[in-house]
Order: sequence, then structure tokens, then C-alpha cells
Amino acid sequence: MNTVIKERKTTTAPKRKATTRKKPIANKISPLEVKFESALDTLNQAKPFAKSLYQTDVYQLANELASTSEGMSVLFKYAHLFDQAGVFLDGDWEDPTKLQPPFVGGSLRLRGIYSILELLSEMRMLAIAKGTYQHESLSPEHASSFLNEVLALNLDLLFPEEQETELEEHLIRAQNLFTYLRQELSFESVAEQMVQEINRMTVQRPILTRRIIELIENSKLLINDEIDSKIVEELEKYSRATDTPTPLSEEAAGQREYRLKLEQASKEELISEAELFAESMYETGLVSPYHAILLRFLNRKYQEIIPSALLLSETGVTSFNENKELIHDIIQLSIYPETKQAIYGLSKMLNRGVLKLESLIPAIRQLFELPIHAEVKIALSNYVNGLNGISINGILVAGVVSVLGQPLGIGQGVNPICQSARAISLWAQYDIDKLFTLITSAIRDNNIEMAFEGELINSSLLLDGVATQNLQDLDPVSILLVPHLDKIYTEMMKRTLLRGEDGHKWVNREFYGEWIPSGFINVIDPLTLNVTNYSSFVKLFYATHHPDYNEGYKMLYPNPVGIFLTNVHGELLGLHAVSIQRIEKDQHGECRIYFYNPNNDGTQNWGQNIKASVSGFGELEGESSLPFHEFVSRMYAYHYNPYEQGDAYIVEETIVEKVETLARESWGKNYEWA
Amino acid sequence: MEMKQIHEKTTALLGWSLQAIEAIDKMNRPYVVVGPPEFKPFADKNGIQFVPWQFNVPIEHSMELYEQLKDFKTKVAVPIYEETVEWAGMLNSLLWENPRIFNKSLLLRDKSLMKRRAHLAGLRVGVFEEAFTKEDVAHFLKRMNEALLNMDEENYEPIHVKPFDKAGTVGHRMIKKREDIEEIDDSEFPLLMESHLEGQEFSCEAFIHNGKVHFLNITEYVKLGHSNFVPASPSLEQWRPQIREQIEKLVSAFEVENGILHPEFFITPDGTIYFGEVAARIPGGHIFEHIERVYGFSPYQGQILCCDPETTEEELNAFFPEEVVSAKGHSGNLMVYPKVKSISKLNIPDELKEHPYFLKHNMFIPTTAKVAERVGFGNHYGSIYFFGEDSTEMRSLLEEYEKHNFYL
Repeated sequence: MNTVIKERKTTTAPKRKATTRKKPIANKISPLEVKFESALDTLNQAKPFAKSLYQTDVYQLANELASTSEGMSVLFKYAHLFDQAGVFLDGDWEDPTKLQPPFVGGSLRLRGIYSILELLSEMRMLAIAKGTYQHESLSPEHASSFLNEVLALNLDLLFPEEQETELEEHLIRAQNLFTYLRQELSFESVAEQMVQEINRMTVQRPILTRRIIELIENSKLLINDEIDSKIVEELEKYSRATDTPTPLSEEAAGQREYRLKLEQASKEELISEAELFAESMYETGLVSPYHAILLRFLNRKYQEIIPSALLLSETGVTSFNENKELIHDIIQLSIYPETKQAIYGLSKMLNRGVLKLESLIPAIRQLFELPIHAEVKIALSNYVNGLNGISINGILVAGVVSVLGQPLGIGQGVNPICQSARAISLWAQYDIDKLFTLITSAIRDNNIEMAFEGELINSSLLLDGVATQNLQDLDPVSILLVPHLDKIYTEMMKRTLLRGEDGHKWVNREFYGEWIPSGFINVIDPLTLNVTNYSSFVKLFYATHHPDYNEGYKMLYPNPVGIFLTNVHGELLGLHAVSIQRIEKDQHGECRIYFYNPNNDGTQNWGQNIKASVSGFGELEGESSLPFHEFVSRMYAYHYNPYEQGDAYIVEETIVEKVETLARESWGKNYEWA
Repeated sequence: MEMKQIHEKTTALLGWSLQAIEAIDKMNRPYVVVGPPEFKPFADKNGIQFVPWQFNVPIEHSMELYEQLKDFKTKVAVPIYEETVEWAGMLNSLLWENPRIFNKSLLLRDKSLMKRRAHLAGLRVGVFEEAFTKEDVAHFLKRMNEALLNMDEENYEPIHVKPFDKAGTVGHRMIKKREDIEEIDDSEFPLLMESHLEGQEFSCEAFIHNGKVHFLNITEYVKLGHSNFVPASPSLEQWRPQIREQIEKLVSAFEVENGILHPEFFITPDGTIYFGEVAARIPGGHIFEHIERVYGFSPYQGQILCCDPETTEEELNAFFPEEVVSAKGHSGNLMVYPKVKSISKLNIPDELKEHPYFLKHNMFIPTTAKVAERVGFGNHYGSIYFFGEDSTEMRSLLEEYEKHNFYL
């Protein structure tokens, strides 16, 4: 597929030339610039309360200027004056330290006035980066990396595809902006940013890789001579991993030709292909479609090479040898270029050794031919578009394999379904039987049955649920289960409404499983909605969970806890469900909480310098981690085992104070403290 | 504008207008703004003295407001919007212990009373009646056309209806047939009905102090609710003495002592002037911006000076320039209404932007593409501003672009 890259490179090069005009002569002032300068000056003269009377004129002229590349340099010439004049006063763009790169692309793509403000904001950022404007709390380095990230996230605006129809004005402006920024910034730092972004996302090993592959595709456009070879290597590594990581695949013109080459390859060549695919897959978490072709081929002729193609561990090999027939059928039915990512799941599933669970083998076999409810067919139809002969059963098996292999790779996508995603993840780890019961009945009956305090609840009889439609970016198992789970969870919570205590106390045990400890505490009093007894909440958590205070009890199962999600400024965004996977000391002896975050964005910045990490502290795939006290400062509810508890009064007040300060100064601002 | 005199007493602006606040802020005199409570945080943040007040409560509550304003040592209340005219009347009655001021202000708040008063004072008016039901409107339409010997129901001469107490073109409808009547909302009653007047329409902005007209601007309407310019063209300005005479009649009929009057008239080619209506507040249609652009003084400040009984004759003479001859050119604008149901694109021709008279426009693609339905003349979406020497060119520009589709 290198040819494709080359082709694109050659098509973008002349285009870039066309938009990269030489810089206009600075002293030639156009009538438009005169008008802009005067409008800016009028705005500057106005008192703060009257700024809004004059801002529109500035925006309007900026709009005109931004429609040409000469105009962009005029805007930059005045960008250092924007703040002083009050261009952004009293609006969302006022404080540049509060802006976030991921939102920029969206605003620029809006019609109307917001896209103009956004564009002016980038020009201000550029002035800070270039040092023509000194901002008191934003450094040039920060501004540069802000813009690099903006470019990295919006490469489609920098390298626009040829359009049949004329672009709308605001998109032309956005392209002019990006062309201008690109002249002023180095491609190298954008590429570096891109690598960081891809690293960050792949290290979590999500099941769904669409977004990552998009980024990798875009990054190909950046690769050119200006860029440091190390970064190019990194980008190429990713690009190869999703495409042709082996010599034979590299040589082949397409999937069909690759398959023919395999026929002629020697066994040594096949082993080497298998090992290279496996290596690339384990290094990046991404799978090449050719890997699927190889695996299908080996499945027919050389089953003995499969362990190398999957990089199986000792456990994995044992598991493979004991279940050769099952693995054969799984591959035959469900591993296709289109379901390539399930190869990673298959490898991890075997290495996990879960097939030792006797009930699992017939359960998987049952899926091969299970009749599928019409509604389920419709829901999964998105996955079968244009596939070469894969059945819906095959899609489901591939989905199940991914979930069993990567229980922490399950993500909620952009949907408000953290509870359900967390549930699937928990069952895939500790209650596979339950998971299969649910999957089977959902496929066959389009219904899930669960008991709540002895009464059965059937999802097909329920109407309410936040996420019964418009689910996007989910793996097949989630698409299958989430609508049911969401309804059942909502129904269970409804049944506890009048109990005067947080319903999660009962619902979580019934919903997730009996292994969840019966002790439960919520920091918000459900009657007064005030934060109540915060210090005992903190002390109890230390006494039940922190190894220095809890008499050495280890967690046996993950603990589903509720957290306050906060943004980079520590402001409350909402409630979120995560599960604590384990609590251990890291290599520096600091006690950390390792947790699963269904939003698959494990490195979110929660403000107050609380930044979850996904690597560097012994995190496993899919885990995020935070120092113990930082995590506690964001929690609002957890389960605990009252029989495995140290003495809460041993916990030092200084620790409690530290946690409480973090809490009060972030989400705590939105609550009354009793 | 630097004011020599040191003012100790406070001026109260009734209604929230940043333009008016900015103008008084530059006058070096204490002021307080009375406006809807939602502006309080903004006022506090910007150090603007503020009294939160809802003007849609009965006027009997004015004592509460008066008490609050007294604490600010208020000496005069200046109305900014139509809805605050009677409040200013009441407060000034209380502040100056003269109940008649309030009663006079009520005349200006009721289009039917206003018309009668003008009629009594000898101004020429169209035929008008009050309507309380849709039947009244149908009857008036029919009788007007009978009087014109027009029996063809399909081609009735139109009549106009306006709610008694709404500003400008709000609720103004032209009625030609039964269906037009059905569209009137019950809440718009009672309303004033009047015959359709032919002729050039124009408005005046008269700055009055001590019963004397200190400055008279004439605004030429190219199309009502769409376009106008200041000062009027020579063909209209030639009637200035006659127009001034009408204004003076109004001033004495309405016993206006201090403040501004913003009447609308029609003039026939032979110079016959018909009175339309009159308001005692800031005009719409960007007229104040035009006056400022051509004459170089702030009409907002002019209004404040005129409202203040303590302003001296010298101050006023120094403040207002000579009418017409001191104008730097003609300033006009076109108010743009989308002609489509949903907006996806702006279409601003290059010839417009390159025309020497073109100053600026403020049109953006709105965030919600769907165009709000127009009630009466409705609200405009954007404005285009022009400035130039020749009133004929100005008029033809405004006429030409009125036909253009700026929103697609």
C-alpha cells in the first residue's frame, strides 16, 4: 500500500505549492487593512462595558481578511493587540488558558460568527507562540504545543481532498488559517504531536481502532523530508502495522495476490511472516488485514504455525493445543480482513487461559449457529456492509473473542453508557458465564432477563433507557447488550427511588454480581444533596483499600466506583462510572490506584495537576492509574467489605485535609458542604 | 464630549442600552441605569450603577422605583424605549412635583389618543378609528373602500393597523383582505386603524428643551422598515420650514418641555404634510447612528441634555451644530430580511463591497439556519451601512439592494 501513500504525496505537493504564496510585503496596506485597523482601534478605545458594540465590526472585517492568505498575515500583524482591544471580552474565547485543542476543529467547522472567533483565537495563540504577544499566564511553548495539537487533530483541513463543489466560506477560512499556521510552525512538531497522540491511544489497547487508524492515515500526509527520521520511523511503524508489516505483504499488490504468494511461500517464509505480524501487532496493538489472510491460510494448511502468528505464551500454547478444533472453527468463521482486530483478541484470549473454563467451549460453539433475532440483525447490519462472506454469527464471534481477550479494551465511544460498558468489562473478566447467558438470550430473543430482589426484569418489556438508540462507535457485543443493560439498570434504579439512600447500594450487587461487597457509601446525602461526612468517607476508603491501613486485605474483584469527572480546570463535568482494578505500590513506592475507564481516554487531565497515566507506572493494557489520594479526591461512591477493614481513626488528618482541599476546590464548588 | 459644569445630581436612564450608557459615561455626570434584572451581573462587573426593574409591572409600582432612585440623588429620568416613556413621565412628575408630566407622557403611549390630540391641534391626519375586535377592522376596511367608491373586494385599498402602545413597526400590519384580519392575534387589540396615506414618508428627530426645538433632523425613508438615510435629500429638505412648523405645533399640542420627539409624516408632492404618529424615545432603524456619523455629535448625549431641565441655553447652542449645512454627507442603511425559509449561505456581491458608499455590514450566517417567522414588519437580520455625498445615489443604492437576496 506504499504506492497509495506515494500517490497521495504527489497529489498534495502541488496543492501545497498553490496555497503557499509568498509573504506579502509588509508595508503595503490594503484598504481592508485600514478598515480593520480602525475598527480594532475603535474597539480598543471603548470601555469594557461597551466593547460588544464594536466587536462585530472587527469580526466582520476579520472574516473578509481571512478569506485570502494575504489577509491572514494582516490578522497576524495585529493579533498581539486582540486581547488588549477586547476582541474576545466576555465570550468563551476570553481566557486562552481555558481553551482546549480538541474543540478547535469543531468550532472552525461551524458556520457563522463562532468560526471567526475561533480563527482569531488561533491567531492570538500564534502571536503568543511567536513571542509578538506576551501573555502573563501562557508561555510560548504552551501556545506552540497547543497549535501543534490543533494541526495534528485537523490534518484534513491542512491537506484538503479535492472537492467537486465549491467549499463554503467558513471552510475556506479554516483552510487559509491552517495553511498560514503551517508556514509559521514546523511540520516536525505537528508530526511529533501526532506520534504522541497515537501512542497515547494505542497504549490503552482499545478494541475499536477506527479513530486511531484515521489518525495514522492522516499522519501519512505529514511524512516528508523536513521531519526528523525518528518521528518518521514511528509514524511508519504504525502505518505499516495497519497495512503491510511483512516482506510478502509489502510485495503483494493486494489481498488476493498476497493469498497467492502464500501458496508459493516456503514454510520458513511463512513462519517469518507469522512472527513479524505478531510482533507488529504486539508492539502497536493494531492488526494488519494481511494478518487475517495469513491466519486463514495457516488455519487450513499449517495449523502448527498459528501459535507463532498469535505470539502465544506457554499458557496460550497449552490452551491452543487443547482446543485446536474450536480455534480452527473460530478462525474459519470469524477472522476476516474486516474483523482483523479480533486477532489480537484471540491471542490475548488464549494467553489468558480462559478456555480452561469448561462451560465456555460449548457456549462459544453455540454462537456459531445460534438463530439471530431480526432486530439484532438490523442492529449489527452496519458491520456486514461489503464484507467478503462473513456471517452475522461470525461478526458476533469475533466480537466475543475481542471482549474476552481485551476486557479492558471495551469502550463507550461517544455514548453516555459508562455503566453498561463497565458491566461488560467486569463480566468479561470475572463472570464469563453470566456474560454468555446474556449474549445468547440477547441474540436469540432480543431480550435480557435479570432478577432484582427476587423479581424478574425483562428488558424487552421496558421502555426507558438513555441509550436505546443512536449508539455509535461500539464493538458488536456492546451494540448487542447495551440497549438491554441500560434499560435494566434504569429500571432497577427506579425501584430504589424512595429508599432515601443511593440506589447503587442495592442495584450494583444485583446488576454486576454478588461478588461486589455489600458495604456502600456515597458522599452526597440523597435527602439534602449536600456533601456530608466527607472526612469519614475518605478515612473509610483508606481503611478498607489502602494497603498501609487496611490490614493487608487484597482486592479480589474490581470495585465499581463513582467519580466526579472534572475538566482540565477542575470544573465538574458530570458523574462517571469506572472500576478500580487493583491498588498497588508503584516502582517508586507510591501507592497507586489502577482503574478501568470505559471512555478509553485514560490520560484525561482532571485539573489540579491530576493527570491519569496509562504507562510508566506498571499499568496493564487498558488500565489508567493515579496516586491514591488524587483518585480519592474525585470519588463520590464506592463499595467496601465491612469485614475487611482496618481502623479508620488511624488515618492521618493531614491526608484527609489534602484530599478534602482537592475535592473542595474542584467538584466541591458545585455542592453545599454540610 | 467634555462637560464644563460639574454635575452632582444623578441622571437615570430607563431601559438598558449600551449605546446610551456609553454616551452618558462620556459626559462626566453621575448616572444610574434602570433595567431588567438580568443585566445586574454585567453592570456590577463593569461598575455601572444599576437598579434592577421590570417595566412590565403596573405603573402604580413607580413609588418603589422613585424611592430607590432618590437614594441615588436622581434629578431626571430619561426614557430609552417606548415602554419606559410613561415611567419616565411618572418619575419626572414625582421628581419635579408636577403630575401633568405623567399625564402628558400617556398621550404618547396611546396611538389613538395621540392621533386625536394631533388632530385637535390642527395637524392633518388620515381617517382613523379604534378597533376592539376583528369585526371592527372588517367594518372599517369596508367603509373606507365604500367612501372611495371602491366596491371591488378583491382590490380593496389597504388600511393600516397598529397596537396602541407598541414601538415603531412592531405589530404594524397592512390590511387588504379578510384573511389579513384573521392573522391579527387577539393580544394585539385594541388597535388603531387608519387609512393608507400616499406620499414620501419621513421621520423627524426633534431635540427640545424648554419647549424650544434646538435641533431638527429629517430622516428620509426609502422603504418603511427597510431603508432610510440622514439628512434627507434636497427635494425633501426644501420643505424644512413647513416641517418645522408642524413639529412646533406638535410640541405645543403635546406640551413637550424637555426631551426628544420622533414623529413620522407623509408628504405629498405639493407639500401637504400628513401626521402619522409620534414617540418620545430613541428612534429605531439606526437613525441615531446616522445623525452621529453625519453631524459628529452623539444624539444620545443630545437627548440627555434636552431631558435635563437644568441644561443651559449656552450648553445647547454649543452642543448642536447647524442643521443640514454642517452634515458631512448622507448616512443611510438597509435592513436586511432573509427571503428564504432556511439560511445556508451569505451572498454579498463584490460590487457592493467595492462601492465607494459602502461602509460596512453586520450579516453573519446565523447559528440557527431556520428563519423566524415575521410578525408584522418583524426584526431584521442584518444591516448594511452606506455613506456618501449624493442623496440620489444613496436612494438608488438602497432601492437596488433592497431587491437583492443576501441570504440564500
